[in-house]
Amino acid sequence: MLWKLLTSSMKKMWKDYIVLLFGLTVSIAIFYMFQTLAQNKAFLEANALIGSIVFVFHVGTFILAFVTIFYIFYATSFILSLRQKELGMYMTLGAKKGKVTQMMFFETLLIGFISLVIGLIVGVGLAEVIAGLLMKQLGFNGGGFEAFYSSSLITTVIFYAILFLLTAAVNAVKVASKSVLDLVRASQQADPVVTKGWKIFFGTLFSIILIAIGYYAMINMGTFMQVGVIVAAITVTLGTYFFFMALLPFIVKRLKSIRSLNEKGLNAFTFSQLQFRISQLTKVLGTVTMLIALGLGAMAAGLSFYHNIAIQTSMIYANDVAVYEPTEEQLAEMDSLEFLERNNYSYKVTDEGVYFLKDDLLNNPPLIQKFTGDIDQLTETARVDDPLDQAEYSDTATNEEQMISDDWSTALRNELLATFRIFGDRTLYIVNQEKFGQIESEVASVMVGRVENFLDHEDTLAAIDEHNKEIASGYTGSTPDMIGSKYDNYTSLKALANGTIFMGLFLGIAFLMMMASVLMFKLLSSASADTHRYQMLRKIGVRRSKLSASIYKELFLVFLFPSLLGFVHVIVGMEMFSIILIEPFTKIWIPVTIFLVIYVSYYLLTVQMYKRIVLPKEK
Amino acid sequence: MTKPVVHVDHVEKIFGKKSENSFKALDGVSFDIYPGEFVGIMGPSGAGKTTLLNVVSTLDNATSGKIEIAGKDITMMKQNELADFRSSELGFIFQDFNLLETLTIYENIALPLSLQGVSSRKIKPLVHQVAEKLGIKAILAKYPVAVSGGQKQRAAAARALVHEPAIILADEPTGALDSKNARSLMETLEHLNSHHEVSIMLVTHDPLSASYCERILFIQDGALYKEIHRLDDQAEFHQQILNVLAEFTSLDRS
Ligand SMILES: Nc1ncnc2c1ncn2[C@@H]1O[C@H](COP(=O)(O)OP(=O)(O)OP(=O)(O)O)[C@@H](O)[C@H]1O
Ligand SMILES: [Mg+2]
Repeated sequence: MLWKLLTSSMKKMWKDYIVLLFGLTVSIAIFYMFQTLAQNKAFLEANALIGSIVFVFHVGTFILAFVTIFYIFYATSFILSLRQKELGMYMTLGAKKGKVTQMMFFETLLIGFISLVIGLIVGVGLAEVIAGLLMKQLGFNGGGFEAFYSSSLITTVIFYAILFLLTAAVNAVKVASKSVLDLVRASQQADPVVTKGWKIFFGTLFSIILIAIGYYAMINMGTFMQVGVIVAAITVTLGTYFFFMALLPFIVKRLKSIRSLNEKGLNAFTFSQLQFRISQLTKVLGTVTMLIALGLGAMAAGLSFYHNIAIQTSMIYANDVAVYEPTEEQLAEMDSLEFLERNNYSYKVTDEGVYFLKDDLLNNPPLIQKFTGDIDQLTETARVDDPLDQAEYSDTATNEEQMISDDWSTALRNELLATFRIFGDRTLYIVNQEKFGQIESEVASVMVGRVENFLDHEDTLAAIDEHNKEIASGYTGSTPDMIGSKYDNYTSLKALANGTIFMGLFLGIAFLMMMASVLMFKLLSSASADTHRYQMLRKIGVRRSKLSASIYKELFLVFLFPSLLGFVHVIVGMEMFSIILIEPFTKIWIPVTIFLVIYVSYYLLTVQMYKRIVLPKEK
Repeated sequence: MTKPVVHVDHVEKIFGKKSENSFKALDGVSFDIYPGEFVGIMGPSGAGKTTLLNVVSTLDNATSGKIEIAGKDITMMKQNELADFRSSELGFIFQDFNLLETLTIYENIALPLSLQGVSSRKIKPLVHQVAEKLGIKAILAKYPVAVSGGQKQRAAAARALVHEPAIILADEPTGALDSKNARSLMETLEHLNSHHEVSIMLVTHDPLSASYCERILFIQDGALYKEIHRLDDQAEFHQQILNVLAEFTSLDRS
């Protein structure tokens, strides 16, 4: 009989239960998705640039588990809040306490079980889709990644089974410890927010000072190093919580005190809802902000690392192309590259050596990247201007005068690609016209060129590398794996970085989804308590569209503040990487877009579900 | 002859679609309320009082019949028109949950004006004026949790009044109040009615509250059963009301 009553009222409260199931499912799915990577050690070690990647994922698992535990405890206590009034009523009607307690226990467990099944299915799907998308975008085929990974499946099941058992027990104990009257009287009354002036003042002051210290430490990471990281982590986190405890309520209060704004349409209501919401959500908003910062930071750092590969290779190579003995066809095709500069250099090859014609080199001295010794700008592009007065230079000369200078050597090796890969162990010479003429061999030439952006011509560059390898095999008898060209270097660095970036993105996306769903769940779980307010307004004659607009506005602001602050943290935080990355902000729009897509979807979904709960049905 | 503010003409309300499940809560009710009148609606539980008030207040629509408020036929209006109509022509006082607990009393009272786009410069004097009338000037800055039940209902009355609606509709406004507060609220409503010409339609169970009205419509099983007028003496009227109610109890027993 009691069971029947319960299931029937569950049907009545299905909207609340949907919110709950949704929240739990998302949590489980994300946890599982994260575990598919974290537990796949072989994959992690094979595909990461960073040796400590396994450790990073351990830390990630820890943070995620920590957040999840709180989330699940909160979510399941929501079941209790939905139920307690009703349970109390059954008890006044004579239901035994033991029976009611038992019911609460099994109900929590049942909901946990249902969400576990759905969550795992969704999790496998998510892992598959997200990993697939990322790999495709990165041109990375991380072999060994499995969306359906049994060991993660087991971990997730065990982790959640324990959690649900614990929370079911907690709920049961809570019911058991309450008197009938406590249960019956349970109702969520919204207390208005009256924050003391001095609290707001000091909180605001603290918030600003702490965040300022953290930012200062991050911007000057070069001087503070590890200490800076720790100081920044602590001060920024604390400052963020103070921000939501004091500064934000203060801002909203200020907004409200502008009469002409507050007394316009539904604004007074919207602001007061916001004020009320913020006071309830300070900790959640602070946590969401920090995890947005972490998630977005992980993605931004990973991606800027990736995009810095092109910049890094450009720091070594001044020219983009070197073609040995180009064919007529190749020369014709090359016109499409729109060279900023191209030069031809003649050379001859004998069994012992490679002879470059001095006059060609002097007439069109190639550009190279010179080291400057300056931390901020490691190299700069310059033309080789070392004199070549002698008749002959070589890299094996015993006589100092006849040694090929450093700059010329860089030019030959990095720009003309005259290395062992093409010429084997032949000696490099630079000789004048007279000596060049005496060498008994055919004159050949290498074309060196510089284009606007070498990434625009990846196919052509790949073909040229192949061509150069063929030439090399003609000289050395074996085809080298790499030719040492700029493009060659770029692709191999990229291949290495891909795995790391993949993990960074995966981690970041998991965190962002988790955070957004925590916020969403927190908002929706208190929605029922707001219903009477919206009904009231509807009765006194507020158009539905206005109520809807008020919800959009209020939730927009609730979502806006953590994202804004989290975003600023990331922008400042990225400055830390300026000591290892050349341009930390390259293509920051990519992680920002991923973040916005996730976040905006959650915002819209929250608004829709919230509206469904609080707005009365209309015929 | 002045036109009525509320004109109810053969209104029926049937709940439920299917014939076997359907229930006729209002069965051909007709009456008029004239400007400045204070009309009470009474009747036994389940008689259809709330249903009638909801239909008149446009919160629910009548199945058939015609309702005009301030000369406008509300039975033909669309949802949005109805909402606008409610916000400009009607004032509501409910039994509870009248005030938004996240707003101060001042903001609660100002809300109907803000909704109509009255500029904030004009709102302040209007709110103060109506608060003065209801004796709640001292609590304007407080939140609803911090004031008494009686003060809450006064604030609700102030909010119902502030935009000068054609009529105030009240469903059991004294239902959650003790007798002292109930009396005081009713005195205030009576005062508003007699000195400021506010038209009021009041649904109540409480004979004492009802005795403040000028005229009382009794309904029974969804139909008008009787109508009585107050002559002069309130105590006498109170007794008259009790007599009619006694008729219902005896009807129940038979
Ligand atoms: N939404 C509804 N669906 C079906 N029947 C309804 C609905 N609302 C009310 N009724 C029925 O219509 C009749 C009149 O109800 P109403 O609420 O108007 O009574 P009332 O006079 O206000 O009673 P009370 O004094 O107890 O408040 C009742 O028999 C009730 O069961
Ligand atoms: Mg009623």
